[in-house]
Amino acid sequence: MNKLWVIIKREYAQVVKKKSFVVGIVLLPVFMIVLTVVPSLLARKKPATSQQLAIVDLDGRKMGEKFAGKLERYKLDDSSLTYIVTDIYEIDPNDTTEYKAVRSRLDSALQSNKIKSYVVLFDDIVKNDSCIVVAKSFSFRTADRFNWAITRVLTEERLLESNINMEVDSVLNLTHRTVFTQMAPGEKQRNFEVMYLGGLFFVLIIFGTVIGYGQILMRAVIEEKNSRIIEVMVSSVSPFQLMAGKIIGLGLASLTQVGIWVVIGLGIYQFRGNLSISADISDVLFNPILIFFFVVYLVLGYLLYSTIFALIGSIVNSEKESQGFIFPITMTVMLPIILSMYIIQEPNSLIATVLSLIPFMTPTMMVIRLNIMSPTNFTFADPIVLQSVIGVILTVLTILGVIWFTGRIFRVGILMYGKRPTLPEIIRWIKY
Amino acid sequence: MDTMMEEYLKINSIRKTYGDKVAVDDLSLTVPAGSIYGIIGPNGAGKTTTIRMIMDIIAPDSGEVLIEGKKPDSDFKNIVGYLPEERGLHKKMTLEEVIVFFAELKGARRSQILSDIDPWLKRMSLAEYRNRKVEELSKGMQQKLQFVTTMIHKPKLIILDELFSGLDPINIELIKNILLEEKRRGTTILFSTHVMEQAEKLCDFICLINKGQKVLDGRMAEIKTRFGTDTIQVEMEGDGAFAADIPGVESFTEFNNYIELKLGDNADTQMILKKLSEKVKISRFEIVEPSLYNIFIDVARVDPTELNAGEVTNE
Repeated sequence: MNKLWVIIKREYAQVVKKKSFVVGIVLLPVFMIVLTVVPSLLARKKPATSQQLAIVDLDGRKMGEKFAGKLERYKLDDSSLTYIVTDIYEIDPNDTTEYKAVRSRLDSALQSNKIKSYVVLFDDIVKNDSCIVVAKSFSFRTADRFNWAITRVLTEERLLESNINMEVDSVLNLTHRTVFTQMAPGEKQRNFEVMYLGGLFFVLIIFGTVIGYGQILMRAVIEEKNSRIIEVMVSSVSPFQLMAGKIIGLGLASLTQVGIWVVIGLGIYQFRGNLSISADISDVLFNPILIFFFVVYLVLGYLLYSTIFALIGSIVNSEKESQGFIFPITMTVMLPIILSMYIIQEPNSLIATVLSLIPFMTPTMMVIRLNIMSPTNFTFADPIVLQSVIGVILTVLTILGVIWFTGRIFRVGILMYGKRPTLPEIIRWIKY
Repeated sequence: MDTMMEEYLKINSIRKTYGDKVAVDDLSLTVPAGSIYGIIGPNGAGKTTTIRMIMDIIAPDSGEVLIEGKKPDSDFKNIVGYLPEERGLHKKMTLEEVIVFFAELKGARRSQILSDIDPWLKRMSLAEYRNRKVEELSKGMQQKLQFVTTMIHKPKLIILDELFSGLDPINIELIKNILLEEKRRGTTILFSTHVMEQAEKLCDFICLINKGQKVLDGRMAEIKTRFGTDTIQVEMEGDGAFAADIPGVESFTEFNNYIELKLGDNADTQMILKKLSEKVKISRFEIVEPSLYNIFIDVARVDPTELNAGEVTNE
């Protein structure tokens, strides 16, 4: 036990002392902040001030005024107008001199930032839809709103012209676009996009830990094998202690990394203030059953795959030789990400259930399903809870089997130098 | 075998096969306490496999290894200092870290080791490198550091596989002296080598093995006497090859600057001297104990070319 601790200590120190460890800890949160917080900050900042715009109306049927009227529905937080129309120029379409003069005046107003944009509604716009908007830069949101406003104006106009014997507003109300409010059982409003991204988020942490630390482990074994350190080590400890020490040492290093992220995350959550993290995200991140299974599956997934990586490291002589083994592993761990769209639509389908009970896929598959089903009570009556527990049992049994097999191979493989062994040779090692 | 000495390590009929190949075949030997014991044989004779079975790194198919009459328990690995033939150290760690790490794996106390490091490093002329990384050392220095990691926890049994490989003559002398000191302190030392001249100078007991089987074992002095005074070494000017045809000469071995003749029973040494002096100018004619090399050839009946006897120790 004492010796195991000596190995755990060294393996842990070797990883944690490296610069790449610190870089890894800093990079992921920075990456996630860049991906999530920054866009939301940017998106929030822009509409915080109102935008001036001018309208040039060549149609002569008060289209400019109507368009301005439609934009009035967009308000800032202090309920002032988002879009302030500075001027509406109603110009006779034949008076090109006046039109050109107005355009050049507005262009210089744009240059001096007196206005943000101006729109030109051309003659007979109701028929030919011809209109332009001029601006130095243009957000998607504003474009969307302008499009909506002009569509609305023109639709009303066309309906009026077609003499339908009904109030225009009533007709429009009959044709307006309908949007589903997304709900989950228990009368809770739920955003499926957040659930989808949340699921991917958990799977990516498992994937990164398993593949990242698994490969560090494999490289360490190959290096110790190549530099002939292994035989000196196994004269002091059993090969099994050596393997276990490496797996646990690196596992603790990975947990340290995840732990630091959790602390950073909780810190951000604590001081979230005006970040206004949506309730959907809180629901995903603070569902105790989900978090419990996530931690269990993170640890199990790491144990399962790091043992396999230790096995590969003991068999091969170089990292190059290991490539052929790594690809199927990466694919197996990644499968849930590839299938995630399907699983999210059909989390209870036979395929999803069966795949999530295959131990090599259980950790990632089950977490992504759990995230969607989002169980609120720890009861076996809930099939997903029952399946998760069965998944844990099956994975633990598989890990024990893999550890036994790897233990047999590892003690022989680490002393075999030179040619890469064939599969029948490896099978024979079990008996040595 | 000297019955006066207490046995420390005993191997009973161990056997190890890899597929069809028999690596070690029914090998038994006894290492007396406080002795220097050499397992000697050509490359591929089964020395490393035998040592790995003693160290419990690989399990024998049959047979057993006993330490002081008992099966090795979990503490056994702590009292052994083991230097394998294939050896290496963590290149990114400092000398101090490496030494402490390996000593802690042997159950030694960190504080004890920290105070023992300096005398050892001084002796090996490595003192100034204590806080440098292993990768900064030359190959020869790394070998010496490796030896320190084998010895630092004061083992009661030292096992060295192909001890002399990778060492220059000066360091071989240094390490031999340390081993003789350890022996005086009562430590039991077991080593393997294929370089017989080295073994001859160092061992109290030897076991010659070939193709996984024991050829001969016992106390070095006794073996030499047993193979007796039937060997003559002759230094001369000119080609001595004709000596093989002199009546009474059973075998003939040519060394760099002398020849060695093994005589049959009732051979007349005076007659041989006379015959030789008729054809060449003799500068030395000596009746000697046979070399280990010749004993091995004689007993194992192997082709001398398999033995690489003249091989330089620096590989």
